[in-house]
Amino acid sequence: MSTFLPCGTYHETYAQDHAFWQTRFIRGKMILLALVAFIAVPFFLTDYLSEFILFIYWSLGALGVQLLIGYCGQLTLGHAAFLAVGAYASFLIMAMPWPQFMLDMGVVYPLVLLISGVIAGIWCVIFGLPSARVKGFYLILTTMAAQFITVDFFIAKYISQIGGRQQDLTLSSDLVKFGPWTVDTKRDIYYFGLILTILMGFMVVNYIRSKPGRAWVAIRDNDIAAESMGINITLYKLQAFFVSGFIGGVTGAFWGASRNIISVEDFTFGKSLWLVGIILIGGVGSIHGVFFGAAFMVFMIWALQEIVGMVGGTGNIIYYKEIAFGLAICGFLLFEPNGLAYRWWQSKNYFNLWPFSY
Amino acid sequence: MDVTLLLWAVANGVMVGSIYGLIALGWVLIYKCSGVLNLAMGELTLIGAYLCLTIYTFLIKIGHPLPFVSALFLTLLACIVMGYLTERIFLDRLIGEPVLTVIMMTVGLMFVFRGLVGLIWSTDTRIFDPPVFSYDAFFIGGIIIERVYLWSMVAALSLWIIFYLFFKYTPWGLSMQATADDEMAALSLGISVRFVYSAAWIIAFMTAAVGGAFLGAKNGLNISVGELSLLVLPAVVLGGLNSVPGAIVGGIVIGVLQELSGFLLDPYFPGGVKDTAPYVFMVLFLLFKPYGLWGWVRIERV
Repeated sequence: MSTFLPCGTYHETYAQDHAFWQTRFIRGKMILLALVAFIAVPFFLTDYLSEFILFIYWSLGALGVQLLIGYCGQLTLGHAAFLAVGAYASFLIMAMPWPQFMLDMGVVYPLVLLISGVIAGIWCVIFGLPSARVKGFYLILTTMAAQFITVDFFIAKYISQIGGRQQDLTLSSDLVKFGPWTVDTKRDIYYFGLILTILMGFMVVNYIRSKPGRAWVAIRDNDIAAESMGINITLYKLQAFFVSGFIGGVTGAFWGASRNIISVEDFTFGKSLWLVGIILIGGVGSIHGVFFGAAFMVFMIWALQEIVGMVGGTGNIIYYKEIAFGLAICGFLLFEPNGLAYRWWQSKNYFNLWPFSY
Repeated sequence: MDVTLLLWAVANGVMVGSIYGLIALGWVLIYKCSGVLNLAMGELTLIGAYLCLTIYTFLIKIGHPLPFVSALFLTLLACIVMGYLTERIFLDRLIGEPVLTVIMMTVGLMFVFRGLVGLIWSTDTRIFDPPVFSYDAFFIGGIIIERVYLWSMVAALSLWIIFYLFFKYTPWGLSMQATADDEMAALSLGISVRFVYSAAWIIAFMTAAVGGAFLGAKNGLNISVGELSLLVLPAVVLGGLNSVPGAIVGGIVIGVLQELSGFLLDPYFPGGVKDTAPYVFMVLFLLFKPYGLWGWVRIERV
């Protein structure tokens, strides 16, 4: 899905062809978006900051799932497990006796973020190993097993018991420091998430337009053909699992930093399905889709809470949420199988090619 | 080690496994008919069980002589209607779409059904009152056997025989297998895929209801019974995704494995081994024998 350029725009060098922002109009749009994201949201929409943080969390989490499902074609229904691994790893490593000068300099948390991402990535690769032999729904079963083994057994029975039974792990917010910048207010958390999203977004986009990404797409489209063309599919599949798990782990760590407390309830099987639902609604195989899907979800839940709050019956909100989510997935699969990103692509092309859209 | 305790664990495993086998049968049947892994199976179990319970309580109130059997029968009738409607509303348009789309559709249905069950029956545990099967267990060779298990075993075995014959000898069963094998080829040979799909969903609803009713009669019902049916997945994998006898055998093996691992390993772990052992087993099994004991090995060509 490449976007058509407006009439009269030609590329003469490869650098132009590979550029992120190919016309001045697009650059202007992006600057506007950055202004909105960096200034308008944190300073003028302060009432909705929690919703925006949730949006960032969902889109970061779904980014890893998108890479695995949308680009590498490896269906995963257990991604919340890797989020959980990242979150718990970041909390536990942060609780280690770090030297005081490192804490003061604020280099510990960035390090912890990286390490927890890597741990989650390795954990993801372990459960991706069967993908060398099986695919399709057999792989779904393996990833579901990852969910139950990791969250319901290891984390619920062992790791969350550290520091006392029935006691959730906590992380004091003044430990979350990047150099001199302490992430403690809501606005700081928002900025932290935003920068993380931009970094991860660039990482995924660059992965996808370089060699591994092309290999992943080839594996997604037809793995046997890809193998016969000389692509080492096991290696690339595992690489996709690693990158996806890494993003998942970083997302989990971000979730932990934004809440300062984590429990097993945050990473249930339902959450895994929720992440897959986001990319289904946003559009499978599209980076835009992640953000559209996450925005749709956050907006849907917010609207639902408002409506239910007005009508009454807030006790059943969890069931209304589940029904709405399920119907959204079903509706999108039936009526808009390419997701919201496809609509966006179509309308963009309509304006790019106007008035002669042939 | 106490041999009687070990024997008791094995016997208990066989008994629990027969209920697993019943639910596993639902997974296998819908896979065998339409090539779809129905992730909403747990919620179908819930719906069937709750419906059966509601009808049972009603029949008890009006003093019906055979409450459980009649309730089960009425539930199965309702399942036909619900299975047909589900297929017509949600899955009919997806014929010819990639299998993964259909699987995701079942995920959506799972959320819808779970929300509906929560709305209608809420989350409290409900029990069949008065109990369907009397609690006075009987002994075989010093091992206690509960009546619920015995009856669910009977149900599992009879369903197994019925579906074995159904798939082997009736034209409907054969057309279902053909559809599962290759939907396009089946369509071009004049098989009504729409009919096959709705029949598959009706059958899935019905087996799930039977399994759910027995589970509910044993332990009482709450929303976590739906999650239990995910525990059945290892059984399905063990037997092979499209093997009816495999479902029963896999169910029993997983039941025994679960009881044994709980019995042998629980002293060394802080608990939860029982619920996780099947999944560990499944991952290892998938690594070495992904198509199960009796599943079809698919040969793919480019």
